[in-house]
Amino acid sequence: MLDLAIDGLEVRFRGLSEPALAIPSLRLAAGERVAVTGPSGSGKTTLINILTGLDRTPTGRVVWKNTDLTALSEGARDRWRARNIGLVMQDFHLFAGLSALDNVLLPQRLSRFRLADAVREEALRLLSRVGIVRPRQPVETMSRGQMQRVAVARALVAKPGLLVADEPTASLDAESGGAVADLLLELTREAGSTLIVASHDARMTDRLDRVLRLESGRLV
Amino acid sequence: MFRFIAADLRRHWLGVAAIMLLIALATALGVAVTLQERALRLGSARAAAAFDLVIGAAGSETQLVLSSVFLQPAPLPLLPGEVLARLRADPRVAWAAPVGFGDFVGGYPIVGTTREAVEGLGRLAEGSGFSHLGDAIVGADVNRDIGETFHPFHGTVETAGDVHEEVEYEVVGRMAPTGTPWDRAILVPIQAVWEVHAHRDHDDAPATPVNASGPVAAQVKAAHEEAGHEDHDHAEGAAHDEHDHHGHLAEEVDDAALMSADNPGVPAIMVKPKSIADAYNLRQEYRRGNTVAVFPGEVLTRLYGTLGDARRILSAVAYGAQGLVAAAILLVVSIHVLQRQRQIGALRALGAPRAVVFGIVWTEAFAILAVGVLIGFGIGYAGVSVLSERLGSESGVNLPVEFQRSDLWTMGGFFAVTAIVTLLPALLAYRQSPARALRS
Repeated sequence: MLDLAIDGLEVRFRGLSEPALAIPSLRLAAGERVAVTGPSGSGKTTLINILTGLDRTPTGRVVWKNTDLTALSEGARDRWRARNIGLVMQDFHLFAGLSALDNVLLPQRLSRFRLADAVREEALRLLSRVGIVRPRQPVETMSRGQMQRVAVARALVAKPGLLVADEPTASLDAESGGAVADLLLELTREAGSTLIVASHDARMTDRLDRVLRLESGRLV
Repeated sequence: MFRFIAADLRRHWLGVAAIMLLIALATALGVAVTLQERALRLGSARAAAAFDLVIGAAGSETQLVLSSVFLQPAPLPLLPGEVLARLRADPRVAWAAPVGFGDFVGGYPIVGTTREAVEGLGRLAEGSGFSHLGDAIVGADVNRDIGETFHPFHGTVETAGDVHEEVEYEVVGRMAPTGTPWDRAILVPIQAVWEVHAHRDHDDAPATPVNASGPVAAQVKAAHEEAGHEDHDHAEGAAHDEHDHHGHLAEEVDDAALMSADNPGVPAIMVKPKSIADAYNLRQEYRRGNTVAVFPGEVLTRLYGTLGDARRILSAVAYGAQGLVAAAILLVVSIHVLQRQRQIGALRALGAPRAVVFGIVWTEAFAILAVGVLIGFGIGYAGVSVLSERLGSESGVNLPVEFQRSDLWTMGGFFAVTAIVTLLPALLAYRQSPARALRS
């Protein structure tokens, strides 16, 4: 459950006269469900990278609850992200050779010294919740829809305050995309997490509380 | 982390195996050069250990050592009989035993010597030493049992000659293994060799059966009857009906006969001096005129010098190969890491700390290379073992293939280089920005 405050954010890329992203002020309430829309190149991914701490904030302030991301080092942002953010990406980024369960647990295994049994149970619960019947099945043998559902389970297993999904349905057919959209909405509501979805997909964006539309790096 | 690495290695097992094999072969090359050279050096040095000083007629020192220590057949000039007599009487000499060759049986050289040589070379594992001229002691690897009898063939193993039908030796003892070519030798009293050849030289028809004719045969027979050895027959002696069990070599071994200056010559004499000073004195004294005295160790050291140069060249070649392989593999691994920057970026995005990503890439690369190095040591050891086994059974020299403490340092050095070199791909992964990696 994180509140977000953005002030004076501006991202420029070398060689471009206009900033790629410029947000003078933005506030999000904890538990809010927000869509970020806009054409390609409008700054959606840049915004998401800033919000998740994947990129450094060059100017301005991005404060989640009490944490000022601009003041954190790269390593500190990694730790903060691991604790607070669940990420669902367009290309799933599951790791072949590992089972669905191991994929769900991988980020926890890599960032913690020892895996708590509770995390393991939560992983199994989430997998069954997203409709994966065989948690030991290697991910490379799954359909794309199943893969994205595993990714959703992975994003939620650490009970993050914020779930960020970057085009979660763009590489799926209508049916699988719909299922994934349903799951994202249901599961974040159950967990009470804030949800930010960058998407073109109207089936997804129409169902969210609030739509932020970006054009040429500015909110409209 | 290890589960992830294991899954990754499994998924790319073919490439991993190929890289490991390359590393292993490159490592094995260097290991083999070191081990094989060491095996040759240790093996020949151990074979020569029993030979403090070898004296022969003037000629090639190397050939003298090869013929006496390694029993390589070669026509050596003979020392006059009085040299042996003089050496045996010398107070500086603990013992002096002749090395007389010229006969063989079943691929084994027959060496005429004295009982001191048996003790000097090792010890008897079973049976007894020489007591009669017809007694033979077999080396550990000779395929003859105690109690067996055989006729010697004249010549060498390579150049088969006539059989000495009239001569029959009986195996009475077996030497404990010495790891030298002498394990394949059959030792007989030198007096017997002299007698056999004297008999042969005087006899126009060497293949005639025993007791046939000839002055020597008659002489020997007379001596044999004098010695009263009719009762000497063993149980199996009955099988050899007419001719006596030992043929005309039933006489007892008389070491006093060695003191005669009229004895036939011998190609080489192994000498055990009483002290180191005596050894140097004797060596100096017998390096004049028509004799040559050598420390086999000295001759071998000279040979190792040549061997060492060859090893240095081969080592340089091996190091070059290892360097090239290491560079090629580093390139492959680095390209692999760059190709997988999306995956690495995803790991970071999902919350894996930078140090963990660094650790994963380093551990994975190090594991592949280190296992390759280990396998390489194994392949090198196995290869040299097979080669040494083959060389050893051909030459009779036991070639010990062994690792020494210095090899641990070499292995440690390999691991250290591997550990440092694999930092490069790990740093590449460490420095990647997750956001940029995901975007590309």
